[in-house]
Amino acid sequence: MIAYLIRRVGQAVVVVIGVMILTFILIHMEPGSVARSILGIRATTSRVAIFNATYGLDQPLYKQLWNYTDQVFHGNLGQSFYQQQQVSTLFAQALPRDIFLLGTSTVLALLIALPLGVYQAVKRNGLADNLLSGTTFTLYTMPTFFFAMLMVGLFAVQLHWLPPTAPQATSVAGMLADPRALVLPEATLTLTQIAGFSRYMRSSVIDTLAQDYLRVCRAKGLGERLVLWRHVLRNSFLPIVTILGLSIPGLVGGAIVVEDIFNYQGMGLLFYQAALRHDFPILLGATLLGGVLTVIGNLAADIAYGILDPRVRYAADK
Amino acid sequence: MRVIRTGAAVAAALTLAATAAACSSSSGSSHSAGGSSTQATGAPESGGTVTMQWVGGYPNFIFPLMPATNTDGYNGNLQLPLWPDLVYAGDRGQSVVNPDESLYSAMTWTNNDQTINITLKPWKWSDGTAITSRDFSFTYNLIKSLGQNWSGYLPGLFPDDVKSVQTPSTSTIVINLTRSYNPTFYTDNVLYAIPLLPQHAWDKESTTGAVGNYDQNAAGAKAVVNFLQKQGSDIATFTTNPLWKVVDGPWHLSEFTSSGTYALVPNKNYSGPDKPHLAEMVDAQYTTNDAAFNDLRAGDVTIGPIPGEDISQISYLKSEGYSVQDLTTAAEAGIYPNWFAPNGVGALLKQLYVRQAIEDLINRPQIVSQIYHGYADPGNGPISLNYTTLTTPLEKSGGPYPYSPSKAVAVLKANGWKVTPGGVSTCTDPGTGSGQCGAGVAAGAKLAFTLAYSAGDPDTDEMEAAIQTWEEQAGIKLTLKSEPFNTLVGTVGLCDQQSHPTSTCSWQLVDFGYDPYSLYPSGAGLFNTDGSGNQGGYSNPQMDSLINQTEYSSSPAAFTQYEDFAAAQLPQLWLPDPDVLLAYKSNLAGVEPANSFSADNDPEIWSFTK
Repeated sequence: MIAYLIRRVGQAVVVVIGVMILTFILIHMEPGSVARSILGIRATTSRVAIFNATYGLDQPLYKQLWNYTDQVFHGNLGQSFYQQQQVSTLFAQALPRDIFLLGTSTVLALLIALPLGVYQAVKRNGLADNLLSGTTFTLYTMPTFFFAMLMVGLFAVQLHWLPPTAPQATSVAGMLADPRALVLPEATLTLTQIAGFSRYMRSSVIDTLAQDYLRVCRAKGLGERLVLWRHVLRNSFLPIVTILGLSIPGLVGGAIVVEDIFNYQGMGLLFYQAALRHDFPILLGATLLGGVLTVIGNLAADIAYGILDPRVRYAADK
Repeated sequence: MRVIRTGAAVAAALTLAATAAACSSSSGSSHSAGGSSTQATGAPESGGTVTMQWVGGYPNFIFPLMPATNTDGYNGNLQLPLWPDLVYAGDRGQSVVNPDESLYSAMTWTNNDQTINITLKPWKWSDGTAITSRDFSFTYNLIKSLGQNWSGYLPGLFPDDVKSVQTPSTSTIVINLTRSYNPTFYTDNVLYAIPLLPQHAWDKESTTGAVGNYDQNAAGAKAVVNFLQKQGSDIATFTTNPLWKVVDGPWHLSEFTSSGTYALVPNKNYSGPDKPHLAEMVDAQYTTNDAAFNDLRAGDVTIGPIPGEDISQISYLKSEGYSVQDLTTAAEAGIYPNWFAPNGVGALLKQLYVRQAIEDLINRPQIVSQIYHGYADPGNGPISLNYTTLTTPLEKSGGPYPYSPSKAVAVLKANGWKVTPGGVSTCTDPGTGSGQCGAGVAAGAKLAFTLAYSAGDPDTDEMEAAIQTWEEQAGIKLTLKSEPFNTLVGTVGLCDQQSHPTSTCSWQLVDFGYDPYSLYPSGAGLFNTDGSGNQGGYSNPQMDSLINQTEYSSSPAAFTQYEDFAAAQLPQLWLPDPDVLLAYKSNLAGVEPANSFSADNDPEIWSFTK
């Protein structure tokens, strides 16, 4: 197992460096002047020159790449051209907010979707299953943006029950101190995720229920409840593990729609606005972070698979 | 090279809305500037908190002298309430210098308008120390040390054109310039961006170092400004750093979050007559227009912008206790033609009659009424109608090019074109003689252009599509190309006779949106031959001469002559300029008429009413 992990980490480092270099080159191949796009249409030649000299943009591309790589290996992701703040500082502000929002909504969604999926699979094609399927299909197909606007329009604007914006505190503790403001963004993300997870779970449980080993379990006298929650759930959960692992890099993209509607300053909008502004340091930093999270997510998913399914063993055990 | 200072004008124009917006006028639109359904008229109360919305604005620098690499116009919103400029622009909706909030009591020009004599008001800093001429010389020394690395630097202007600064007394400043200027131009467009900085508190080179007179030599000034800029960029200490507690404006900064939301409280020692009535002013940052408008609709904020696409919600907002202000911002809007576009297109756009034909086909009144619902300046020329004392009768009457498809067709035919409505008109009589197509226009040349514009605003999309349709009436084919604003700015280069590389000068027509003006809206930087904002390389010796006169001549007729000439010359194709609509709680007095030159619309004169 250790050797497997070491090999995977080594591969991950190579992948991440490759992503970084490729992204660096592609970003710098964009046409136009970064300095002018940041400084505006009135930027004088001297101001453009100062900007380029300050950020090393007047150097050959290979030298810029070398400097950036060296900088990253010293833990410095650079300074945002537009926001004039260290990229690491901006990430440190935005990422915990997204981890909190996406993390809690995902956990809530799983807590609801997993039993729901099992229930629907067991009661499949019945009235309850059909009603729940209709609801989840509706949530699944509805654009998140539209759903969020509906929630705000009803609960905040019409009824004045809840505030239309997410907590504006910059710390997680501060956000938790304003639970009413968390309701709408959490509900938006949770409900739309329930739809997807419950459908996956339902399909997976239906597959598992057809397995022969369950017949053996029942023949051995295990009650149906134990069959479902000890054997079916665990084995049906494996595809969800893969999905969860692949969703970890999504933290870098944040929940841009929710951030847009609920005034939530997370990674999604940070990245989006940086892309519009040609704010290279943020784009590069976010891509690097995304690469790291992708390999971490995949690795975590593989390890979880091994834990959940004893039949899966890795190099060290072969 | 002459430029236009953006500075506070940009900050003001960017107030409240992330989308481009500009001035309105009283006569050109069906909604008069400053009009609203209900204005608070009761007795003013002391106290209360106002929450004002800003979209996409994240201040990141508190020290008023920013480096050249910092372009965040919202920093002015943060700085100006604490350290107002020497010359305060805008007075309750009027495009004039504000005598109450300016820091000087008298300013005279002598020595053939080469010497400025300024008498400061006997005001004090918040720590009780008197504001003196030493503070001005301190500011001047720091700006001089920054040189081109100052965000407010204008080549050839302050401090380049300053021969010397003298301080004969603690309240008088004498600035000797290297040449004569039009006092209005220099006061309104140059001095207005100069703050006074507290020498007694800031003239130091380190946090623990003592205050001295370090600024009085070049190395010391450099050390001081480097120290202050470093401190000024440390967001975490904006509210705790003792440097920033010494202010001369009506407000103190009491809270600043990393999200960009900050709170101001009154400076109890403010010397000016407009002492704040409010207990607190919260500038709340929003990620997008959607988030801000949702909060506005829910009634959770005191004052906020209404996006153009939500104008239909005005009646709902009024039913929820809001009044609506038609905010005039000082700017102009137009399409830049590129005189150096390749493949003969530049030669076409150099022809005044071609620009005239295109302008004749832009139905500006319909854009104002149908797209902006009346909330826009008509764009009759370079000066918006809210500059009531500066707009000429020509502009007030609709400008030299009212909508007239027949005139467009006639002028093209008169210059050797076969006009094909619905198709593409072609040049059939090339040459430079009278009635011919003009220099550089080949036989068979087509009136077909690509118009690039900033994406993301539904009103702009609609306007450009309408223009495209109207131009077809004279066989002028426009291909529309929308791009994100920053991409547009990055790829559309500055093109002039000296330099027009194909890589950045292959564009043909571009619409960036509005362009903010300073208090004195001269065309310097926009329409003169070497202007840094003259995107398409328009060049006309008479225009250069007229603009020079607006800067250097005191003749009252100079501006009028420039304005009418520019209106007719079409260095840009004039477009209407949408207003910014502001919703505010009806019991908040003093909001109207708003000051479009003030970064945050002068909240010191606001108050809740009983």
